[in-house]
Amino acid sequence: MRARAGLVARRRSAGQVVAFVVLVLVAAFFAVPIIWMLLQSTDPSTLPLRPPTFFGPPPTFSVQPWAFGSLHQLASNWDAIFSGHWIGGDTLLWLGNSTFYSTAGAAIAVALCVPAGYGLATHTFPGRRAILTVTMLVMLIPTNALVLPLFLEANSVHLLKSPLAVILPYGLFPFGVYLSYLYFNTNRFNVLLQTARLDGCDEWQAFRRIALPLSLPISALVVFLDFVASWTNFFLPWVMYWSLNTTGRYPVALGVALQLFNGESFGSYLKVLQLHTTSPPSEIALLLLVTSAPVIVVFVLAQRWIGSGQVQGVFR
Amino acid sequence: MSRERPGSLEAVREAAELLGYRLVSARRWKRRRPRLRRVRPQSPRRRSRAGYLFVAGYALLLGVVGLWPAGYALNLALTTFDGAFSGVSNFTGSYNQGFLIPAFENVGKFMLIWLTALIVMVIGLSLLMHTLARRVGAAFRFIFYVPAAFAGSASVLLWLFLLQPGLSPWDFVLHALGYKTLGDTLISGNLPVIYALIAFWTGAGSWILVIHGALTNVPEDVLEAAALDGAGPLQTALRIKLPMIKKWVVYMLIVALAGGTQLFAEPQLVSVANLGLVSPVWSPNTLATYLAFQYNNFNYAAAISIDLLVVALVCAGILVFRTRLFKAD
Repeated sequence: MRARAGLVARRRSAGQVVAFVVLVLVAAFFAVPIIWMLLQSTDPSTLPLRPPTFFGPPPTFSVQPWAFGSLHQLASNWDAIFSGHWIGGDTLLWLGNSTFYSTAGAAIAVALCVPAGYGLATHTFPGRRAILTVTMLVMLIPTNALVLPLFLEANSVHLLKSPLAVILPYGLFPFGVYLSYLYFNTNRFNVLLQTARLDGCDEWQAFRRIALPLSLPISALVVFLDFVASWTNFFLPWVMYWSLNTTGRYPVALGVALQLFNGESFGSYLKVLQLHTTSPPSEIALLLLVTSAPVIVVFVLAQRWIGSGQVQGVFR
Repeated sequence: MSRERPGSLEAVREAAELLGYRLVSARRWKRRRPRLRRVRPQSPRRRSRAGYLFVAGYALLLGVVGLWPAGYALNLALTTFDGAFSGVSNFTGSYNQGFLIPAFENVGKFMLIWLTALIVMVIGLSLLMHTLARRVGAAFRFIFYVPAAFAGSASVLLWLFLLQPGLSPWDFVLHALGYKTLGDTLISGNLPVIYALIAFWTGAGSWILVIHGALTNVPEDVLEAAALDGAGPLQTALRIKLPMIKKWVVYMLIVALAGGTQLFAEPQLVSVANLGLVSPVWSPNTLATYLAFQYNNFNYAAAISIDLLVVALVCAGILVFRTRLFKAD
């Protein structure tokens, strides 16, 4: 409604109407899968009449892609995915793992990024330039690029099955350092800092009393970005846990992938496997929604930073 | 600022200092040619060892999970199984197996589609959104961004459903194409398109944030001036807005290019889903993990990961050293 009011307030032209229609059509492409998941999770059908396979006759689903099932079905799907021994793993445990890894990673990231950005912006010391340059290079490298090297390293120091194998990489967030550096590297902040020093603050006090309280917006941004990136990461936990079949360590992103297997969780590519033969699409649709719910909640909470100038170029 | 009369000696002195000059001699002031000397701007940063303390934790972690693994992978790539130096033999060996080039060709096809879609759609949509009221634009931005919550494995699993005839909300499209099972949809010729679709669905929203954000930074008076000069919406978009967001488009392309070579979750999961009919070594990353886990050949895997790291570093280096997007001071 508010959005409409904004539209009316402006003079409408034919061009704007066309733009609006085109955008609505494209928005449908983005929204349909999500609406489909919401509907599917209410189970508009019973089980597939015959398990779908890739070969042979087409699967005969009695599924109506656009129908709403019932809330009762939704509840029973919910019970099914949280039942504890649902298809090779424990959804609740995986969700807990994801929460642990992402929270710990984001906590480390924010605890390191804010002081580092502050130090780089307000102090000069030998090596400062090098650290800044490496930071900018590493933040522009796709996170996947370091996954295999990290696996090889973790393998050599026998950290493969440890939670640290994913938490420490999640804690490294060079973009956060760069953001925090930009945040403190302003004239206004430097004047403030000079004043504090004139008033007799030592280095630690200046950071603790001046910089830290002011860093709240940038800290929130770092936590948000690092949490989302960690939660949706697939490749890193895959090499660390999947390859060794450490099911108990799976984050939920890996647990979801387990769905592709016929109740088995071996890291072998060569096994003959089938898609969702044991759980109906409705349960998996619900699982996907549950999996991504924390990130969506974080998105909504972070609406005011998303799209602000500060975030330019963060999302990739 | 200055209470001095404009044009007075004091006013000139102050103006010079603001611009980073010092008035050296005012003797020629009367001839209106004051001598100025460039003053090195005083760094606002304090020269202090305390700086190390603030940076130490981050630098340590950067070393442990950034530089060390890269160095270790390089070391593995240059040695044999028992640790003897082997020069480039792992690189040539992994190349000679004959899977590396097809893998790069596969991601190349994927990126051709994906980057084209990014350029056309992201820029187009951002420009369209920019013609609408701010709030309406923000609502669309949010819709486009939400699928990012399903990035990674969730989106792949979801799209396996969306591509399954009989189950898909776009069943009519699949039907029109003559696909009857998921196996029909996932024929190998379709894979680059399918991966591009998944990547676009989860990733385009983030880029729309960036490009649309850059557009909102185009000064309002420039647009007004253009409108006064008689520029229509199309001309404004092409001649004013596009040049002003060009550097962000370049940024998007380079980052997307570096990211595209790293494709992993999609080919990995689809190959598992499709009964081994899809090559398990479709992309360079899946090839490297396959070599590591199926053959325990960590040296070849390390060599491929170094290949990919070099591509990523070249892209990052271009952005850092050849564009003015990121400033170190």
